Amino acid sequence: MARSRLQAVARNLGCYVLLSPTFILLAVFCFVPFVWAFTTSFYDYEIGGESAFVGLANYGEYLQDPTFWASFWNLLFLTVFSVVVGVVLPFGVAKLIFSLSSERARYVYRIIFLVPIVVPGVAVLMIWGGLVYGDNGLVNEVLRLAGLEGMTYGWLSDPNTVLWAVAFIGFPFASGINILIYYAGLAGIPESVHEAAELDGASGLRKFFAIDVPLVLSQVKLLVILTVIGVVQGFQGMFILTRGGPGFRSMVPGLWMYFNAFSFQRMGYACAIGVVLFLIILVLTVLNLRYFKSSEDVQAAA
Amino acid sequence: MVKVKHIVLVTILAVGAWALWPPQAGDDSSIRLGARRPHSEAGAARRKHHIRMAPGLYLPGTMPGNVGKPLTGLLDVAEKFEALYPDTYIEFVGTPAVREWLVTQLSAGLAPDILNVNVEDVWQDVHKGWYVALDEYLDRPSPFVKAGEPGSKQWWDVFKYEAITRGKAAPDGKSYCISYDMVETGIFYNKDIFEKLGLGPPKDWVEFLDIQARLRDAGYVPLLVPLWGVSDWGVDLVFDQLYYPILEGIDLVKDPVREPYLQGYLDWDEICFLYGKGFFTRRDPRWVELWRILKDWRRFWNKDLSTADMMRLFVTQKGAMFWSASWTVQQLARDPDIPFRWGVFYPPPIPASFSPYADGHDMCVIGGSAMQFVVTNTAISDTGDAATSDRLKRVMAFLQFLTLPENADRVVNEVLSMLPNVKGVEPHPELRPFDEFLKRPYTTTKWSYTFDMRFNEVLIRMMDLYLNGGIGDEEYLAWTERNLAFAVQTTARRKKVDFDALQRTWDALAPARRTMKGLPDGAK
Repeated sequence: MARSRLQAVARNLGCYVLLSPTFILLAVFCFVPFVWAFTTSFYDYEIGGESAFVGLANYGEYLQDPTFWASFWNLLFLTVFSVVVGVVLPFGVAKLIFSLSSERARYVYRIIFLVPIVVPGVAVLMIWGGLVYGDNGLVNEVLRLAGLEGMTYGWLSDPNTVLWAVAFIGFPFASGINILIYYAGLAGIPESVHEAAELDGASGLRKFFAIDVPLVLSQVKLLVILTVIGVVQGFQGMFILTRGGPGFRSMVPGLWMYFNAFSFQRMGYACAIGVVLFLIILVLTVLNLRYFKSSEDVQAAA
Repeated sequence: MVKVKHIVLVTILAVGAWALWPPQAGDDSSIRLGARRPHSEAGAARRKHHIRMAPGLYLPGTMPGNVGKPLTGLLDVAEKFEALYPDTYIEFVGTPAVREWLVTQLSAGLAPDILNVNVEDVWQDVHKGWYVALDEYLDRPSPFVKAGEPGSKQWWDVFKYEAITRGKAAPDGKSYCISYDMVETGIFYNKDIFEKLGLGPPKDWVEFLDIQARLRDAGYVPLLVPLWGVSDWGVDLVFDQLYYPILEGIDLVKDPVREPYLQGYLDWDEICFLYGKGFFTRRDPRWVELWRILKDWRRFWNKDLSTADMMRLFVTQKGAMFWSASWTVQQLARDPDIPFRWGVFYPPPIPASFSPYADGHDMCVIGGSAMQFVVTNTAISDTGDAATSDRLKRVMAFLQFLTLPENADRVVNEVLSMLPNVKGVEPHPELRPFDEFLKRPYTTTKWSYTFDMRFNEVLIRMMDLYLNGGIGDEEYLAWTERNLAFAVQTTARRKKVDFDALQRTWDALAPARRTMKGLPDGAK
């Protein structure tokens, strides 16, 4: 038995050798830091200073942290908002492009919607922060032109507008990659299914909801997972535009983790926040995989 | 056709590879090139000592305030030093002004040998071995000073503002920085606007508020001030106005090294202890009054405290006063396009008629040392021990060389921003008002630097929200209390505060507190 296993390994040695650089890099940069972070979360560890085992104290402290409820509420708001607009709107755009009769037009639109992704994310944020939301930015100037001076705000510095302002960055949310994913899903639906539906008298919206939506559920599922992970982990937008302020009105857990790790030098505490975020992402991903039906599930059920 | 496609693709790849190619040693990307002489890794490698310095404001090749010519002074001095020590190469580097960068560099042992950093930031980390104490060198003569001149007995003696310089010693009693120059805040005002409205510099706080009201009525932003200015300077000034009258009863630690200058400074251990006695809480009427005064003052400031371009608003005469510091003189004095006359005054005292807790004493100063050169653990990287490190000796020699009068004059006075802290070097005439300001006593405490960065971050954030109407008085005071409670708990644990010793001094000061008014319940 052992001998046959060894022989199998020897037979596939080339594959293992080819896989090993990727595996080593993953281990060094993903798995080891995770294990280290998990362990450190049980310590009061100040960078450069002494560390002391504190058990679950960091977790207990985080539950009472002044940012805890505020930041998780902000995170929930941004996650729901991002999932809704990031999943729904690109689907509509992809369907519109897919419906075009000219192959050339479809190609051109795909390219046009994809081009903005080459703009660096930081530049996009700076554009929104300065040119769109600035005191003399696009939004306020349009409002002034419309005679609505009273509705102008410091959009990113006003406690009542900051979260919505951040959420609307990326408007009209027609992200290129999401459109392409949906487009691929739509292209994968056999033409015969549409023809059969038409023979049954389905057309327009009926066909869209009865055929297209169920058959791209795998893409929806993927985008929901990617969006949730992106929002929960991401804090660069807040860091660049608001630093979580004013007060903690736009704080998110990831940003507080960063501040604790590198500004306050509370690495153990930051690791505890990181572990909490990891658990949240894990739970949401498991729930998604378990209860969200994919197009294959729908087809199998049918 | 296929061939053309291949050519286009290969060209794109080649251009991409060229764009991503890392710069080579000696490329123009080096900061040192910005001045005159290219930095060369190869040249540096041939010398025994390659010292890196992050000189802050004086970085060669830069133009402070974007006026004047690129700086060369420090480079000149470095070349003179290299001529004396041919085995040494000095490289100047720019550093991001963020603590995150500093922490990662220091913990990795990669920071420049000499670094400009607020020494109060250093105090928090001295127990980690990231910085080298300089006392041994300061107590001995500077080798570059001739006999009989200041510095020939002790290096300490070369410093003009010696009390301030010595006052920068850490709470452990050791000195970790060289104060190369001085800075102080001041309120710059537009003399033309003031004259037009028949105004002059105010004598007290009541008059100051009245002037601001009149400026506002005339359509100007009365006072331009950044949020960090309020949280750093504003809080400390008003705090000193309210707490100085009771300092005799609450100053528990007389530091023999720093006391001659600081005169009653409240350090973190004292703040921790006093918090336990009800100070700096809602039970402390002075604490409540501090925030009332700042909130009341807020109505005269620029709308956006965080991102507004204050300098622009001042030079375009939309703002009549600008609370800044001596570094602003460079831009105002050297920019030929400034279309108005300007002056500077210091914030006036709060009289007893305005606040029952103030006594009208002069506002303290909150500036002092500007470029504070600390020596990092990189300087002892050759042996890991300050006592045996050759590299450290060379680093210290360069610092001592920098403090020769002719060198300090060349470096500091090249920019119209700071006051040289070396005897025999006069500041520019435009900076003399700040020299006068610096003769005042120092602040009672520096809230921004008393506790850790977390405390400061929460304080600034909530103050921003409070001053802009995001939360009310009660909620804000509850926040400050929670923030302070956490900071006290952390500090007491990490710094091992000796509360018993503080209690004994507290008991001894009880007679002084008996006649004092407005103390928290039970604090007498």
